[in-house]
Amino acid sequence: MNPRIAVIGIGNVLTGDDAVGPHVVRVFEASYAVPADVQVMDAGTPGYDLTAFVAGLEGLVLVDAVKARAAPGALRVYGKEQLLGKSPVLAVSPHEPGVREALLNAEFMGVAPAVVRLVGVVPANVETGIALSAEVRAAIPEAVAQVARELEALGVPVTERVPPAEADLWWEKPRG
Amino acid sequence: MGKLITIDPVTRIEGHLRIDVEVDGGAVKNAWSSGTMWRGIETILQGRDPRDAWVFTQRICGVCTTVHAIASVRSVENALGLEIPLNAQLIRNVIMSAHALHDHIVHFYALSALDWVDVVAALKADPEKAANLADSLGLEWPGNSKHQLKAVKEKVAGFVATGQLGIFTNGYWGHPAMKLSPEVNLLAVAHYLQALDVQRKANQVVAILGSKTPNIQNLAVGGVANAINLDSAAALNMEKLYQVKTLLEEVVTFVQQVYLPDVAAIAASYPDWLKYGAGVTNYLAVPDMPTDAKMTQFDLPGGIIWNGDLSNVKPVTSWNDDYLKQNVTESIARAYYEGDTIRQPWEGQTNPKYTGDWKAETPAPEKYTWVKAPRLEGKPVQVGPLAQVLVGYVNGHESIKKWADWCLGTAGKIAGVKLGPAVLHSTLGRHAARAIRAATMGELALKHWKLLVENIGRGDTAIFVDPMKNLKPGTYKGVGFHEAPRGTLSHWAVIETDGKTMKLANYQAVVPSTWNAGPRDAKDQLGPYEKSLVGNPIADPKLPLEALRTIHSFDPCLACAIHTVDAEGEEISRVKVL
Repeated sequence: MNPRIAVIGIGNVLTGDDAVGPHVVRVFEASYAVPADVQVMDAGTPGYDLTAFVAGLEGLVLVDAVKARAAPGALRVYGKEQLLGKSPVLAVSPHEPGVREALLNAEFMGVAPAVVRLVGVVPANVETGIALSAEVRAAIPEAVAQVARELEALGVPVTERVPPAEADLWWEKPRG
Repeated sequence: MGKLITIDPVTRIEGHLRIDVEVDGGAVKNAWSSGTMWRGIETILQGRDPRDAWVFTQRICGVCTTVHAIASVRSVENALGLEIPLNAQLIRNVIMSAHALHDHIVHFYALSALDWVDVVAALKADPEKAANLADSLGLEWPGNSKHQLKAVKEKVAGFVATGQLGIFTNGYWGHPAMKLSPEVNLLAVAHYLQALDVQRKANQVVAILGSKTPNIQNLAVGGVANAINLDSAAALNMEKLYQVKTLLEEVVTFVQQVYLPDVAAIAASYPDWLKYGAGVTNYLAVPDMPTDAKMTQFDLPGGIIWNGDLSNVKPVTSWNDDYLKQNVTESIARAYYEGDTIRQPWEGQTNPKYTGDWKAETPAPEKYTWVKAPRLEGKPVQVGPLAQVLVGYVNGHESIKKWADWCLGTAGKIAGVKLGPAVLHSTLGRHAARAIRAATMGELALKHWKLLVENIGRGDTAIFVDPMKNLKPGTYKGVGFHEAPRGTLSHWAVIETDGKTMKLANYQAVVPSTWNAGPRDAKDQLGPYEKSLVGNPIADPKLPLEALRTIHSFDPCLACAIHTVDAEGEEISRVKVL
């Protein structure tokens, strides 16, 4: 079945708090059941593929680290207008298309989702290494709940799993 | 000294490629390539079970996911002397080729085409003339019809009329270096839009065989995890295999009917760019797409070329090539690391030592990048599709030769000149080589699909050998080679084991963009990006489109992205010392 709505976590699990997007969607998936036409995806750092992943969707909920004038761990939610409001970055490598560029590209192609919501968490540290900061870790439950609220606002029934399943956070597995 | 220009998206995004050029008399006199973020996969992997390494390396880079997974399992298998089942080789090969097709197409249409194509100029095109032009090249792509092209033109007109260029805001519209006819511009914009569907089809192949995309889940040290059972819905069955074949055929059609002809038309329209941008003409490609379980026969050719001398190609025919193991080194003379200047990867170290900010538009300090400088026999070497196409062309690789001759012949026909393989040592030559390689990868993807189906048909369903079986205590060194979309990739693993558990003592990834984007070394030899820029014209230093053309032709990909969304315009100040 082609998904109608997607929850996509973005970020690199190997660079500190940039893991927050993948982390939140994996905890969300373990905590809530969603209908079959809702796709929950840890997309890593997809570059140009993000346009392909969102093309044709009706609604999209993204989870990512965001820069904002706020303390680490703060939650920020943005709509499509705010995300598209600034001009895109001149791409030098395939990494540069971020969320904004992928959405602008989808707009031009006529395949952008009508509703886009970005659940953002302000990072403390995005250096190389597997290490979620205490502030961002503390913000995870609220970010997960926010994803559920965004889906409900899109008319999607979400059902809490009791007890929750174990989230697959393989990158936090200790060495040896 | 000439004028210094810094091209650096780091002001808005962190952890990326920065290019500095010195322009004098309308041309680049000197150039520096630098990566602005430290990447330390090595420190993340030390002490872990080598069987888990590929899951982590796959996350180095969101664009090159599968390639780091494949090179990683190969490095461990090479260290342990494991021979994996033929089905596993072939399933990996089909995934690899689908990923490569996806990567080459996306690179060209999404990242590079706009260096040559003026979207706004497409508004002056006559759709009927454009359709006839495609027809005259013998192309049968349905997306080239007059009606489809008219619809694309209307779409662009509507977009431009809103006054919001959206994704194209930063394009170099009307730049004096733009030279395509309105009709070729219109065809290219149409293909830019159509490429999205093809990109999704190639992704589907990776998802079906790899269990998931963008990060595959079906690999294992010792083989793959795709249970083969032609009668089971849960396993790799005939229905899924035929789905893969149908999708691959659609992607292959696009490469042959659209991508390769577009590159030929652009090469014909910009003949100067078959002269600029050669840079370092030492080349390296490694063999790939093994056709037997013992990994002695390969469908993609490897070889080494020195100083652009096509009459003397040294073949590389094995992943156990002692010459490569002995002669690949990395220099940190000009990179932000401390320790010995030159080391072989198994002995490689990653000890970051940041020596300070390099202000834009100022002369380069002694150490100026986080990227190490790989060398072969102490010399800089260019890797990528061009290396593989040159090696294959000279050695008479049937598919490479066929598509290279088609591309050069078609470009020559449009331009009214005769073009030989020597023009490939250039900026547009790198694009042409990538499209030629895509055509070859398409044929090989279907060939290896057939080999897989035939092997399963013979009753072979083996997919995995256990690396822990027969494991003896000791220290093992291995290298995993993969000819990835951006060129030769190698993962170097040192494994320690007591016979019951294994752990990684060292791990180094020497990636294609390190070979190409690496800095100068202790002897001040420029890296391939740097040398390729020298001599490029720059018509307008404020809009250095020409420098971007040459850099984009390498398909730059510096692992990896910190891409935090800056929704409120606030910059996070970061200290890069670790």
